[in-house]
Formats: sequence, structure tokens, C-alpha cells
Amino acid sequence: MNAENVKSQMRKGVLEYCILLILEKEPAYTSDIIQKLQEAKLIVVEGTLYPLLTRLKNSGLLSYQWIESTQGPPRKYYKLTQDGEAFLKELENSWQELNDTINHIKENF
Amino acid sequence: MKKTLTVNLSGIVFNIDEDAYQLLDKYLSNLREHFKTEEGTDEIMDDFEARIAELLDERIRLGHNVISIEHVEEVINRMGKPEDLFDGEKTEKEDDETETTNQTKFVYKKKLMRDPDDKIIGGVASGIAAYMGWDTTAVRCAFILLLFIPYCPAVFIYILLWLLTPLARTAADKLRMKGESVTIENIGKTVTDNFEKVSNKVSDIKTKNTLHKIADLLVTVIGYILKFLAIIALIFGIPILAIFLLVMVVIALGIVLGGGGLIYNLLTPLGIGIFDNIHVLGEPGMLGMIGCVSLILLIGIPLFTLIYIICCSIFKLQPLSKTAKITLLVIWCIALLAGIYFLSQAGYEGWKNLPFPHYWYRQQIYY
Repeated sequence: MNAENVKSQMRKGVLEYCILLILEKEPAYTSDIIQKLQEAKLIVVEGTLYPLLTRLKNSGLLSYQWIESTQGPPRKYYKLTQDGEAFLKELENSWQELNDTINHIKENF
Repeated sequence: MKKTLTVNLSGIVFNIDEDAYQLLDKYLSNLREHFKTEEGTDEIMDDFEARIAELLDERIRLGHNVISIEHVEEVINRMGKPEDLFDGEKTEKEDDETETTNQTKFVYKKKLMRDPDDKIIGGVASGIAAYMGWDTTAVRCAFILLLFIPYCPAVFIYILLWLLTPLARTAADKLRMKGESVTIENIGKTVTDNFEKVSNKVSDIKTKNTLHKIADLLVTVIGYILKFLAIIALIFGIPILAIFLLVMVVIALGIVLGGGGLIYNLLTPLGIGIFDNIHVLGEPGMLGMIGCVSLILLIGIPLFTLIYIICCSIFKLQPLSKTAKITLLVIWCIALLAGIYFLSQAGYEGWKNLPFPHYWYRQQIYY
């Protein structure tokens, strides 16, 4: 059992949830998402996000829009679709459950 | 002084140093290799390219005229080194069902390939060395030694391997050649390794001992001599090969036009006519015909396949399809059986048609 492995799986597990949470507030560009994740101390490189965002978009949870940028070429801004919002609700519930489970175990055993 | 290239990255034109271009190109092609199983590969790659273009454009705005290797390294660090990305992807793969894991294992099986980075003639020896984990110089010496053993088809084996094994073009191929699994982490290693090899090719020589160096030199010299001999042989061999091919074509036409009868008649003076009195399938002379046709097929099919493979590598033809290969193999097997049948019958008849009766032999033995 490798601690690094488990940790990276945990990070991976919550990464999608975190991205959806960030996009719930407002549409965002990939580097904005990265910055917010870094502010929240979840370290990922940009390269991890592109396949993930494309996957989420292909499964209909996200959609994107090209927005002109002052600093260069137009950028893809991702936002949550209705399906995405419903999905986020589900994730929220299961996160709550997980949190409760961990707390319960920590306090009672 | 450095040479620069002009590239179009996601619609923006950049002047980029040659080494920086090589690094970026390898990075992108390795990412593509890794994401090729994913749905929407092109889209992912477009996103990567667009972002890289944007980051490089920032450098240009800061007043750099040319993209240098430092800039590319910076961008790769920011986008994620292959090993960092792999960290995120690994769990994804573990989530997948065992079926896919088996598939990936199958795809990434060790494969005999030719090494384009380390070749003297065709890279066959270095490919074998990589495949078996042996020293390249040793394999080359072994090949040269085989040349001096009489009746050893070393040249033939070499040419056959050259034609049959593919060249390891991409980083993924090179890993497969050595039997390392094709993960983005390993690809990353190959990218950087190759890169270092290009820039410090000189230091590579220093690590070998004197004997190794002498052997290397010897092998290289012999390699050049062999190359020279091969060119000479080719120049003189082409007319002979052409005549041989012509004969084969005439024989093939003979089969088509005369249904074997023509050849049969052609060969009759050679003594095949003695089988005329044997009735196979109720036809006199049928056995001789079976013999001729099966012999032509037995030699012709492997020859055709070999010529086709040579043409493939010269003219970039489509390789033979699996169905075609299997059909040819089945026909060849049938021809082999027919040939064996012919030989057994012919032998029996030959025995019967000996100028003296066979019981005469027995009498000799008895008395």
C-alpha cells in the first residue's frame, strides 16, 4: 500500500467535485480554475484539467463558450449545464455523507 | 548562433529555436499518443495547443523575439510534465475494468523493432539487442561471425528481419522495443533522454571501455564494407532478378492460359511423361500436372510474398491484409499436400518403372 497512491486517488476523486463547485458560481477559464484550485491548496497542473474538462463536457455536465481575450486569442470559458447542476447536487450529498462517516468514525471509535 | 523555425501553433505564428521546437514537438506528440484512446483526442490536443500558444504569446509580448528552449521548458512545467499528468491519469486507469487493462497489456507487449537512433545498416542488430536486453556491439559481432560460417544464411536472415520488423519511429515505439510499458511517465523519460542524447552525444562515447570502443569501430567499418558490397551486389543482381521474375511471370501466364497443360507439355521432355500411364482422377497425365502446379505454388507463394514485402517498403504500398495472408497460407498448405502426394505416387511409379522388375531385387537379396 502506497501512501502517495492513495493520496493521489483522493485528490483525483474530489477534483471533479471541486471543478464543478468553482464553475457553479461563474463561468471560468482553465487558468482561472487552476488559480482557484491553487488558492484552495489543491495542487494540479493545467495539463490534468484539459482531458478532464473535455470528459465532463462530453458527458453533458459542462458547456463552453468562446470569449475574446484582451491578452491574446479567444478563450474557452466553461460553465455548468442543468445536468451539471443536478450532478453537483448529487456529489454534494455524497460528500456530506462521506464527511459524516469520517467524523462519526473519528469521534465514536 | 541557432537556427530558428516558424511554426503555426493554434493560429499564432511563432519563431522558435530548433531545439525548442524539437522539445515542444516531442511533448505534444507524446501527449497525443497518451490521449489517443480517449474520446475527443483532437479537442484535448487543441486545448493544449491553444493554451501553450497563449503562454508563449505572453513571452513574445514581454519582448522576446524568438521562443527559446527555456520558454518551452517553463510552459511544459506549467502545463504539467508527462510524469505529473501521469499521476492524475493513473487512478483513472485503475478505475477501468480489468478487460481494458488486459487490452493495454496486450497492446504494449514487447515487440521486435529496428532502432533508427543506433544503426549501421538497417538497425536490425540494435533492435535485437534492445529486445533481448543484450549489448548491441555483441549482437553485431555475432552477425559478422555468422557471415564467416559456411552455409549459414546470415545475410538472408538479416534482410528478412530488416523487411519484416518495423522501424521504431515514435517514443512509444522505442519503449515497446525495449519492453518498457508505454506510460506517459516513461514517454517523458524517453523524451528527455533523447534530448540529452542529442545535445551530449560526445559524452556517451566516454562511458564505454577501450575494448568496447575498438569493437564498435571494427563493427562500423565492417558495416560500411558490407553496405558497399550490398550496393555492388544490387547493381549486378538486378538484371538477374529481372530475368528470374520474367521467367516466373511466363510460368504464371502458362498456368493461367493453359491450365497447367502448357507447362506439363513443356516439362514432358524432362521425363515427367513417364507418369502418363498413371490415372489420377481418371485422367492420364494428371499426376504430372499436379506435380508441376504444386511445385510452382510451393515456390511461387513465398517468393511472391517476399517480393510484395520488398515492394511495400520501397513503394509504400499497403501491407497484405490478414485475409490475403491466410488465403495464401491455405493455398500453400494444399500445394504442399499435393506435392507430397505427387512425390509418393511418383516414387511408387518410379519404382514400378525401373528398367528391371522389382522382384529381381528381392531375388538378389534372397540368393
